[in-house]
Amino acid sequence: MSITVYLVDDHRLFLSGVKAELAEDFRIVGSAFDVDTAIVEIRGLNPDVVLVDVHMPDGGGIAVIEGVNESNPDVKFLALSVSDQAEDVITMIRAGARGYVTKTIEPPDLAEAVRRISSGDAVFSPRLAGFVLDAFAGAIPSEEDPELDQLTLREKDVLRLIARGFAYKQVARKLEISIKTVETHVSSVLRKLQLSNRHELARWASKRHIV
Amino acid sequence: MAVVRSFEFSRRKTNRVMGGVAGGLADTLGVPDAYVRAAFLTLLTIWGLGGVLYLGFWLMAYDKVEDREVVAVDTRRGLGLGLAFLGLMLLLESIGWWPNPALVLTAGALAFGTAALTDSSKPGPLAALMDPNVDRPSRTRLVLGVVLLIGGLSVFFTSIGAVFELGVVILAIVLTGLGIVVAFGPWVRRLAADLATERNERIRQEERAEMAAHLHDSVLQTLALIQRTDDPAEMMILARHQESDLRDWLFGSAPLDGVDLVSTALKDAAARVEKDHHVRVDVVTVGDHVIDKKAASLVGAASEAMVNAAKHSGADRLSLYLEAEDDALTVYVTDQGEGFDPDAVAPDRKGITKSIRSRVEKAGGTVEINSEPGEGTEVVLSMPMEAE
Repeated sequence: MSITVYLVDDHRLFLSGVKAELAEDFRIVGSAFDVDTAIVEIRGLNPDVVLVDVHMPDGGGIAVIEGVNESNPDVKFLALSVSDQAEDVITMIRAGARGYVTKTIEPPDLAEAVRRISSGDAVFSPRLAGFVLDAFAGAIPSEEDPELDQLTLREKDVLRLIARGFAYKQVARKLEISIKTVETHVSSVLRKLQLSNRHELARWASKRHIV
Repeated sequence: MAVVRSFEFSRRKTNRVMGGVAGGLADTLGVPDAYVRAAFLTLLTIWGLGGVLYLGFWLMAYDKVEDREVVAVDTRRGLGLGLAFLGLMLLLESIGWWPNPALVLTAGALAFGTAALTDSSKPGPLAALMDPNVDRPSRTRLVLGVVLLIGGLSVFFTSIGAVFELGVVILAIVLTGLGIVVAFGPWVRRLAADLATERNERIRQEERAEMAAHLHDSVLQTLALIQRTDDPAEMMILARHQESDLRDWLFGSAPLDGVDLVSTALKDAAARVEKDHHVRVDVVTVGDHVIDKKAASLVGAASEAMVNAAKHSGADRLSLYLEAEDDALTVYVTDQGEGFDPDAVAPDRKGITKSIRSRVEKAGGTVEINSEPGEGTEVVLSMPMEAE
């Protein structure tokens, strides 16, 4: 059974390009140019993975994620954007996206990302890894749940290697751990990113405008 | 002196009594509102000076343009205001119109006493006098307020005979002042508002013109170039270069005045390599550092390493990763290309490696090159830094 994918992007040209790229490996069940159509259709189709553009009229990618999250909790989101502003990245992840890639991603990498997301893993681009390292720098854990507010040394090692451009497989070999372990570390970082109420996170993201 | 350091000031929009001037000043100075109001009231008894100052501040304070406060009262202007005030006082004194000290004292004591009793705002610098943690007037403040009120009233009653004549004059002045405010206030306000609108409009127009100029120089030129090119690779490079340029322009924040950052320099270097050598460079930076001589040599070496990788690795994309800590910079230049045996490199490549090494080592850093045939190459450049 192949993975079902739904696409949301207000740029028609880009949408058709991605459709063509992914059609070989996945079953594209539908696509939408706007937020409202997307929410209705995704609720009905319940696809495995939704590729969603961050910047769209009427609330953008966030609105899509929030509109679907409750009714279809199994749908997994991969955010796609031309902007890799930290603010956008962090908000999308915190809304529930399991990964973030820029639109300049190579087609094979995009396919790999979709596959990874559908199997429940997180997709960290080098840039996202860099953002996370930056955001979690400095050791000021909150009182409530210090574990959520800090990365472990191992997680930092994994993120550093991803930031340096290594694929999960290479990261695993360099650290002499299994790919599964790398995936576990990345998922754990994703969870921290989504749940941590480390206030530096938001402040850092809004402060940082340099791409 | 009225103002001894530069500060920006704007009228308050909410929680105000009249024009939001006192509130705005209170915000700027970090003093509770009530005290600023008390100061204005006290100054009002000195020939209506409080009113004049209030109007003056009102006129100077434009409305907020988005988040930016527009009027900055700088040290020089503050000094000027102070001198003018002093001059005015001396002039009044010399012609015998010195305001009755008893009256000023009375009004001051009454105003500040009331302020001390009624102030429920967050404590400002005057907090030392008061208990900072209560909303209701604290005991100290209560006592202080009552003492001031009683003192003020008693001074007033003992000097009532002497002030009576003066009081009439002041009343006249105050009434005239009020009349002027009532009559011309709306007009003056509208004038100020119009000025602000006009100013905003001008700023918007300038921004639009600047944007048009930039797009013309960059995007339109590139689009024209792309139309004249039939080599897809060339098109790709043009588009990519334009993309990163536009992205920087849209989202990049200008570096601080005259201060260059290591991350910016590395991004520039990467953009040059992308343009000259037809590769894509993914730049990720964590932390940052102001560029100094050491950092500059690191950037130079990183640039050379990128060129080297672009030329020899066969990979079409490189990764550049900067990790800046307080006391060290580390740059990784990674490619997923052919790789090589570091012990058996061709002489021309050895030269480049040597030059990277000497650059970094001269500045006190270290270079590590990890490569194996078929495994790609990673150049690690480290530089100890002095903590900022």
